[in-house]
Amino acid sequence: MISAPSVSALLQVALPNAARPAVVAVGILYFAVVLGISVWAARRTRTARDFFVAGKGIGLVALTVASVSVSVSGFAFIGGPGFIYAVGLGAMYIVLPAAVTNVMGAWVLAKRMRLLGEARSLITIPDAIGARYRSRAAQGLSAIAILVGIVGYMATNALAMGVVINSIFGVGLGWGIWIGMGVTLAYSASGGILAGIYNDVFQGTLMALASVLVFLFVLKFGGGLGEISRTILAHDAAFLGPWGKLTPLAALSFFFVFSMGSLGQPQAVHKYYMLRDPLQLKWYPLLKTLGLVLVLLLYFGVGVGVKAFVLGGRLAPLASPDQATPALLLNVTPIILAALVFSGVAAATMSAANSFINIGAAVVTHDLPVAFGKRVKNELRWGRTVTVLIAIAAAITAQRSGTMVAFLGIFGWGLFASTLVPALAVGLNWQGATRAGAMASIATGLVVTLALETAAYWKAFTFPAGVTASAVAMVSSFLVFFVVSWLTRRDAPAELDPDVRLVMEL
Amino acid sequence: MTDPDKSVAPVAEDATRRAALVALFIGITAIAAGYAAAFSHGGAPTWAAWLLALGIPVALAAIMILGATRGRRGIGALKIPFAFVALVLVIGFGAALALPATEGPLSTLWLGLPARAAIVIYGVGLLPIVVLPIAYALTFETQTLSAEDVERVRALARENRAAESSAAGGPKGDRPPG
Repeated sequence: MISAPSVSALLQVALPNAARPAVVAVGILYFAVVLGISVWAARRTRTARDFFVAGKGIGLVALTVASVSVSVSGFAFIGGPGFIYAVGLGAMYIVLPAAVTNVMGAWVLAKRMRLLGEARSLITIPDAIGARYRSRAAQGLSAIAILVGIVGYMATNALAMGVVINSIFGVGLGWGIWIGMGVTLAYSASGGILAGIYNDVFQGTLMALASVLVFLFVLKFGGGLGEISRTILAHDAAFLGPWGKLTPLAALSFFFVFSMGSLGQPQAVHKYYMLRDPLQLKWYPLLKTLGLVLVLLLYFGVGVGVKAFVLGGRLAPLASPDQATPALLLNVTPIILAALVFSGVAAATMSAANSFINIGAAVVTHDLPVAFGKRVKNELRWGRTVTVLIAIAAAITAQRSGTMVAFLGIFGWGLFASTLVPALAVGLNWQGATRAGAMASIATGLVVTLALETAAYWKAFTFPAGVTASAVAMVSSFLVFFVVSWLTRRDAPAELDPDVRLVMEL
Repeated sequence: MTDPDKSVAPVAEDATRRAALVALFIGITAIAAGYAAAFSHGGAPTWAAWLLALGIPVALAAIMILGATRGRRGIGALKIPFAFVALVLVIGFGAALALPATEGPLSTLWLGLPARAAIVIYGVGLLPIVVLPIAYALTFETQTLSAEDVERVRALARENRAAESSAAGGPKGDRPPG
């Protein structure tokens, strides 16, 4: 849900050195558990199906916790509280959609994706698009869109890992990147998504624990939410206005992009294939929403709490908003809590990276060959090989250029949203959608996002306040999808196979 | 999977689905108009935010209805939670836009927050959590998925696999392999 800005926000953070004995000890323990899980999972990964969708054998609770873990990146712990500190409650519009996104995803996508997996043994998102429109070209185009988004995400996550690991162990940014990517690679390449899922379960639990403890600590230290609000209202009332210091258009725009856009995030949607029993979907939205609320308590608590502590003179003014979480952890909370949160941030970045590596490997070894009518003979072996290559490429890119990497990371979320939401989320629920409509929509999302983000990056163009490239690309993609599908509506019946039709009618 | 030529049948679109699609299109168009207005000289007019405040709930409710509707059965009892959540979003965003800014040191606090912030955080951010996932779970077997539904899909998959293995190697056109 909130991976997108994470990367760019985390990149701007020069995290302070947190290498205290307790922090290092908890950090080492964290990495030891991750490696232990990886060894266990590697022994159970024997086929490409095991590698990419865990053999469709994940239970409800494990899948839910893993899904929470990949939905939240380091942004929820570092960049997000800093964003609240800077702009007030307007920053909450990034996370408020969590109240509806999980159940919306369940109604719109979960059942149909899981049943398509049952009917066709599908393993990727482009697989679903290819099956829905009976089109290798549509599958290939969506695979390219996902690959472009993953390039940015991977590089930025690699850099984020470097920043966090350097903060915990004091090893330098370069070593931080390679250590983080090396550990992630170890479990991604050996145990595939199975290792990823069970590491996500561990990492998600750690993140939730850290978040709840920090939230409770902030409330206790601040004398309750009422007292915290009173302190802020006495100095900076606009901070607690309903839009904070954002314009209403900007805040609502966040809500739109992060609610509707959630239906196109492959790291979350891909998980629907993995549930052992489709009937277990019944409790999935409730459990995932509750899990997300727990993980996001820190986002709200630290952002608002630190503002009150600084305004009330209990904490020194921050050098930059992104220092909100580190300043609280290293100056106010018990050190063991700081250790937990720093490991939680490392967990968040690693779990996101693992998920994207796996999806990227599936695109290269499965979707693109299928788009050209080919099949890779040994998908498991090639999956592992491509996993290693993606990780190395991401680490090298992360080391090369901070600003370019930040640019790549910014558009990941918007690119997935604008290219996949209409074709996948609407397409799986509307028999009148056509192959031409889907391909035009995916192409529109890809071109508009890349063109607008590039123009904005090179300062050739400035958006009005409240308007973002992601939002413009997503509404353009939607409108193109509707218009082209309507214009080509005569083709719709011929583009539906009976099994896909059945899945869409249930 | 069957021969593509045999799969051509008219698309099924019931009234609920059609209404949801129209609502989704209207919602997205309203949001697009809000963004377009922001490009005008002098910045975004006040009504641009209102277009988003109305367009977003309409679009979200429409896409949920699109996903939840089942043929002629429509959305059944789900119409109540969907209407509730759409209203909560419209009222929450609307109140935040329309109510005067009165936040100050003497503001009355609602569960620790000033009124307009409380409406947004607790109304928009928390109320749907209490309603939607519970509604999803309570209506799961009747509205979303039953053991019979799963068995129907599995049975068709078995038939398709048997047909494919007996006609292995046939041309598939532009279709991706399953």
